[in-house]
This record gives sequence, structure tokens and C-alpha cells, in this order.
Amino acid sequence: MAEKNKDAASTADREIVLTRVFDAPRELVWAAWTDSKHVAHWWGPTGFTNTFQEFDMRVGGVWRFVMHGPDGRDYTNKITFLEIVKPERLVYDHGGDDDCAPLDFHVTVTFSDQAGKTRVTMRSLFDTAALRDLVVKNFGAIEGGIQHLGRLAEYLGRM
Amino acid sequence: MQLDQLSATFAALADPTRRAILAKLSSGARSVTELAEPFKMTLPGVSKHLKVLERAGLITRSRDAQWRPCQLDAKPLHDVADWVENYRRFWEQSFDRLDDYLHELQKKEKKHGRKK
Repeated sequence: MAEKNKDAASTADREIVLTRVFDAPRELVWAAWTDSKHVAHWWGPTGFTNTFQEFDMRVGGVWRFVMHGPDGRDYTNKITFLEIVKPERLVYDHGGDDDCAPLDFHVTVTFSDQAGKTRVTMRSLFDTAALRDLVVKNFGAIEGGIQHLGRLAEYLGRM
Repeated sequence: MQLDQLSATFAALADPTRRAILAKLSSGARSVTELAEPFKMTLPGVSKHLKVLERAGLITRSRDAQWRPCQLDAKPLHDVADWVENYRRFWEQSFDRLDDYLHELQKKEKKHGRKK
């Protein structure tokens, strides 16, 4: 954990960073992220619903849930909370079921107060060494001429 | 996309020589000899890498021509791109929903506040 965060610059190129300002006080945004009765209302893309099997909101605690897609498919999720600093910072590992173990993320969500509004910044660090490698080095190199990849390269460049 | 296929793609891409081979192929088909040249590798050494790339579906090798040229197949790369794009969309939409939900919560809070 500390190793991963010690140098923001060294991780910047293997992260997806998303940020959004919410028109709500920080305490409320924090509650919406960390209280299971709130989280179920918004987690997941449009049309998804969630079933929580376990929501143990403490360091080392596990949150297990199934996301139900609009197409009827179910997606198993497992989140392990690593750091909980109310109302500023939430760090967790997010994986799927055992089948998709190689695609785990290390996620840091920060909440900052901006004159009554709240900026949420979410950094998803890919934990798979191979994917990391891919993101860091190759896309630029392999991209040549493949138009479809241009969009991704542009996106990764911003990461 | 199947996750095991995605993992195979990542594994194949994790090696710098294989990435360099793909980069070379992005400008057109090449023979094994041509691919071996810049890496100062033996033909069997290059063939090993080509097999990994072939299994990951990143290249195809023509059976027609005698020199069996290797060609880049961008489909798995598109899948990776789609996958990253999906991840971003997942969160953009979740954030939209959170935004709506926070508005709802605040409306409720205000109502309660006035009643008091």
C-alpha cells in the first residue's frame, strides 16, 4: 500500500483517474459511499441493481456483492477495505470472483471540500503486472495505424 | 470479452520483445527472418515469441505463401481498449447516479429541516 502510494508520478501512467464535483457537503458524499443503505442506490452503470451479501466497513473488512446487469447477467464482486479515513479517503482492493483474479484494482477515493461542494477523485490502479506493462509501454508503440486504438491511447495519455 | 482471453492478451503483451514484434508488424506483414533481425535472435527464439502471440490471437501467420508472413491481428487489442473504455463508462454512469441520489437525499433533508 505505502509502496504503491509513495510516488504518485511513478503510478500516474498505470492508473485510470476519474474525478467529479458533487453539489453536496462532504459528509453526505462520504456517507453515500460508505453506508450500505446508500451505496446500493447508485453503484454501477445505468440499469444495474445490486445485492449485498456482506458489507463490513472497517479496515480489513470485506464487501461482497452481486451486480445484476440489465441484460440479466450477474457479476460477482469482492471489495476489501484497506484504509478508511472519514471523510477524506477510502482505499480498497476491488476484484471479481476467482475467475477474474488477474483483473484486480487497487482503488483510492479521495473526498475534498470545495466551498460546500465535494470533489471526488477516484484512482484505479491496475494490479496485474501485465496490464500495467501494457498501459505503460505498449499502447503507443503498437498503436500505429490502428485507428480504433487512437481513442485509447489518447485516454491513457491523460491517465 | 472472455476474461481468460483478456489475460492471455495481457500475458503476451507483458514481454518487451513481443511488443517490439507487434510494433514492427503494425506497419505490415513480415517474415520470421525479418522479425528476428533487429533483435539479434535465433529463428527458434523468435518462433517461440511468435507462438505466444499467435495463441493470444495477436498475430496470424499465412499458410499460403512459402515465407509464411506474420500479420498483426488487432482484434484482441480492440478488446482491451473496449474493456478500459467500459471501465470508464461504468464509473461515469455510477457518478451520474450518485449525483442524482445526492440531490434526492438533500431534498429529503431539507423537508425534514423545515418540519422541525
